[in-house]
This record gives sequence, structure tokens and C-alpha cells, in this order.
Amino acid sequence: MKTLKIMLALAMFGFASLSAQAVEIRDYHKDVIGKDCKACHDQGMKQYPSDESCLSCHNVDDLAEQTARSEEDKWQNPHNNLHYGKELPCQECHSEHKAKKPMCSNCHTFEYDKHKE
Amino acid sequence: MTKVDLLGRRKFITGLGVAAGAAMVAPAMAVSEKAAGVTWDEEFEIVIIGSGFAGLAAAIEAKKLGAKDVHIFEKMSYFGGNSAINGGLFAAPQTPMQKKEGVKDSVDRMVGDQMKAGRGIADEALLRHVAEHAVEALQMTLDAGSEYHPYLQQLGGHSVARTYQTTVSCGAGITQPLLKKCRDLGVETHNRAKFEGFLVGEKGEVLGVKMRQNYHFEEDQPGKVINVRAKRGVIMATGGFAQNVNLRMAQDPTLTAEVGCTNAPGATGEGMYEMFRLGAVPVHLAHIQSGPWASPDEGGFGYVSNYSIYNFPHSMAVNRLTGKRFMNEIADRKTRADAELSCRDEKGNAYPPLLITSYKDSKKHPNTKKVIKYNVGWKFESVDELATHFSVPVKALKAQIEEYNQYVKSGDDKQFGKNMTKAAGKYIEAPFTVVRLWPKVHYCQGGVQITTKAEVKDSFTGQAITGLFAAGEVCGGIHGVSRLGSCSIPECMVMGMTAARSMMNA
Repeated sequence: MKTLKIMLALAMFGFASLSAQAVEIRDYHKDVIGKDCKACHDQGMKQYPSDESCLSCHNVDDLAEQTARSEEDKWQNPHNNLHYGKELPCQECHSEHKAKKPMCSNCHTFEYDKHKE
Repeated sequence: MTKVDLLGRRKFITGLGVAAGAAMVAPAMAVSEKAAGVTWDEEFEIVIIGSGFAGLAAAIEAKKLGAKDVHIFEKMSYFGGNSAINGGLFAAPQTPMQKKEGVKDSVDRMVGDQMKAGRGIADEALLRHVAEHAVEALQMTLDAGSEYHPYLQQLGGHSVARTYQTTVSCGAGITQPLLKKCRDLGVETHNRAKFEGFLVGEKGEVLGVKMRQNYHFEEDQPGKVINVRAKRGVIMATGGFAQNVNLRMAQDPTLTAEVGCTNAPGATGEGMYEMFRLGAVPVHLAHIQSGPWASPDEGGFGYVSNYSIYNFPHSMAVNRLTGKRFMNEIADRKTRADAELSCRDEKGNAYPPLLITSYKDSKKHPNTKKVIKYNVGWKFESVDELATHFSVPVKALKAQIEEYNQYVKSGDDKQFGKNMTKAAGKYIEAPFTVVRLWPKVHYCQGGVQITTKAEVKDSFTGQAITGLFAAGEVCGGIHGVSRLGSCSIPECMVMGMTAARSMMNA
């Protein structure tokens, strides 16, 4: 599906104008943000969003609660983990326009079923 | 082995075109420049590059000594560097726990053990300075809120048990409290801030640094470069270069991208190489240590490393081909890493050996459950089951277990001369837990030469470079050929504290 969308986009706008229109946006973000790229790109369109950008809508404490694990595995909570607490910038594991692996997978074999790469 | 990330890293490094001493190619990399005529964007009292143990300890000590304006810069998006993912093992002589457990130890004894592992080229003065102040550094972590297991461990190469370990079995049990302490004390912390070079005065003294803001590691993301004046000086606490395959291969061609690495991704060494360009003395760069306790079944340091560090004293390491032991399980790191690398199949391919432990003894370490749960280690009910699973000759294995258990009983390892003190009464009996072992690049003994005041020495004058201090893994020569486990944290912290003291007394 993803590939199809990208191909369609390419066909429509041509290779020369491979621009913002070709990037993928998550459905739930589309609903809330629409096409307002600057909602995230707070440092200008050619820069990555700031580490605080995601936090203008998402609350770290809420996220930590949503991904909490049992006492034994409590430090595997990506939003409140052993190594960096609640301070890990979202962009370490999440990316809007490309696939990304959870950072933990560099060293651990944990599974994060709901993580969208 | 998880090659994916390493190959990715290699691609990145190739792209940067970083090679030891060779010309830099795209993208434009800034280097040190004369400060004359530059506009200072910021002016701070103390500038610290790197946010691991050394940087954090330096910041806290500087604040305690009255520094008003201390700034830590970290190139990654998160703080803690390699320290935040290491094993959290802290060696010190004459600690409260040693007194409690009746362990007789001294500064001399700890230095002696380290000199032996250093194989004649370690720096005794620096080792002594660190050992003398290790308890102070331990106290700094306790004051900040670090918690430790209620027992001591005896790591490979140490003649007595002198190692504390955080209750989370990770350096984050120290970096997290220290980082919080820094902020409580008013230390300013900057992430995504990459060191780009020094700004030097007419006499070669370091006046400040160039920092790239909004830096995204491994991404082509041009952030603005600002000039930062450092009134009392700069502390380089940038760590080692174990993640930079080109640089480590320049020193030791056997350490290719196919050899795993336990370090955090940011351990790429450019801070160190910039100091060399400024005139610092390079020491022992080719001595790069591999951790003999790592597992090929997970990435990085993972869960197995701490599991095996704890279990080696009462475990048996066997070669899968022969079913026999092939090393002293608590020899120093180099001895064991070399022995493991010699375990190969008939075609010469890597054939990772096994570490066999009685479950009754292994389960005391909190990682044991996790090692089994995440399929990086296995539990077996009998020798036969174990032998079948790993295709080990069962008869030979049984004979080896019987022989080893005799040594547990007598306290005298006739095969490899292992110190059996910690193995007393701990027979190898079913059920067993087993992990596979294979070394991973872990620590760079080499780096810039420093004095016992944490000053960086100049290669031409032999004198300290004014305004420049260094602490932690970026420094070289201290440990010689092989660093003993749990001796890096005290070194990082003591030298970080020392750097702050030197600057505040100057």
C-alpha cells in the first residue's frame, strides 16, 4: 500500500518535483494536522522538528503510562526507560516520513508490537 | 551477530570519509582555529564536552568548588554517553562494603592488580591517583542517590572482591542521579551540540570551542556553529572511539565491522583526534579491548554481559567442539577474549563457546531471568539436554564437569589456575543456565596523555596545554594493555573531579 501511494505520488508530480507532497504522513496525524507541515517543522522546513515539537501535542507522562510494563520489565518502557528516563527525544525511535527501529533494538531483543517503524 | 546496525554505522563512517590522520572530505568539517578576531557568541566559566561519568563528575565538582557558570555539551540527543549503557561496575579499595565483608584491600593492591593487567606499560602515577580518590568518587554517586547491590563482586584480574554494582546493573544507575544532581546545582546541559574544534590564543592556549547546534547524529543536518569562550578552560570528556570502525581498524586491522561493539553510537573519537591536531600526545591507541563476556545472540552490551561478569567466578567455560574448558574464567579481559576467539569450527569459522552455570547460583543475579526470557540464554535440566542442544560431545563434557567440581572442592584449579575463592561450594550441577560467549569491542585504552591534574600534555613541549583538560576514556596510557573491569568508572569520575579541581585552583 505504502509503495503504491508513493508511486502514485511520483507519477502525479513527476520526478523533478519530488517534494513534500510525496512524503508519507500517518493517518492519525493527517486527521489532526492536515497538510500543515509547519505544525511539526517548527525550525523551518529544511530542518528537523525540534525535540520539543512532538511534545506540543503529546505528553510524556501519558505516553509513559500507556507503554508501562510489569514491575519486572518496568525499565523496558520506551517512554520511561532505564538508561534515559523520560528524556529520550521522540525522534530517536519515531520518524514521520521514514521507517525507524526502536532504539532499544541496538542492544536488546525486546518486542514492541505497536511500534510503527 | 547483529550485523545490521554495524554495517549501517560502517556506511556512515565511509560516507564521512574519516580516516586516521588522512585528509577530511565532504561534508566540511571544522577544525581548530586561531581565536584572534572571532566573535564570541557565548561566554561561560567552564565548558565540558561530553556527558558521561567524567563530564558529569567534573560539573558537580566544579559547582561544589564555587563555579557559577558550568555548561555541559552533548552531541547526541540524549545525555549520558557510553556511561549510560555500561555495566555500572565500580571498583574501589578500602570501601565500607569491604570492611563489612572482611576483605583486606589497599590502594597498593588495586594498583598492583592493574599494573599486572597493563603488562608493563600502564601509568602507575595515574592509577595510584585514581585509586587514592576512588572512595571519594563512590561517595559522590551515593550522595547523588545511586544505589548498589548489597554484595561485592570479584571481577577478572582483581585479586580481591572490590567491585560495587548499581542495583539496576547499569551505569545509568549513576548517570541518571548525577545528571539530576547537575541540574539541581544549576549546571546547564545542552544536547545535540557537537564539538567542532578549539579556538586557540597566540600561545596555543585553548580559549574556547566551536559548537554546532541542532546536530542530528548520522544525519546531514546543518546546524549553526557558534563560538563559545571558556574562561577557566575546556574539559574534554568525549569517551573512546570503539564505534568508529575506520579509526579502530587504523590501529588494529582485525577489528573490522564484523566484530561487534558494546559502545553507545556516539563513541566515534573525533574529540580525541582534534586534541591530537592541537598537539596532544597520542598514547597506546592500538590497545583496544574486547569484552570477553559479551554474547553473539544480542546487540551491544545487552543483558548477557552483566550476567556473565557476575557468574564467571562460579561457572565453567567450555569449547563446544571438545566439551572442555579452554581458559581461566576470571583471567583478565584480553586473556579471555583471545581464548574465546580461538574457539572455531573445522573450517575456521567463529564457534562461540558456552558459559555453563548452575541455575541455583546464576539466579541470584537479576539478569538471569531476563537472559532466559529474551532468548539470549537457556536453561537445561540435565547435561544430556545441554549437550544435545549445542552438539557438545557429552562424554567429554561430563568428564570435564566432574573434574572441575574437584577443583571447586579442593580450591585448586589444576587446569587453568583460576582463583576458586568465589567458587567455593558452588558445584556445577543441574539445572544449568547457559549463554554463548563472543568478544565485542568494548574499550579504547589509548587516547591523549594527561597529567595527574587532568591536564593535556603537548607533544612538542611536554608541558600542559593551557586551558585544556581531559578525563575518562578519551585519555590514554593509564591502563596499559588491558583495563581491568570496573576500573573505568572510578577513573572517569576521579579524573573528572580532578579536572574541575585543577581549573578551580588555577
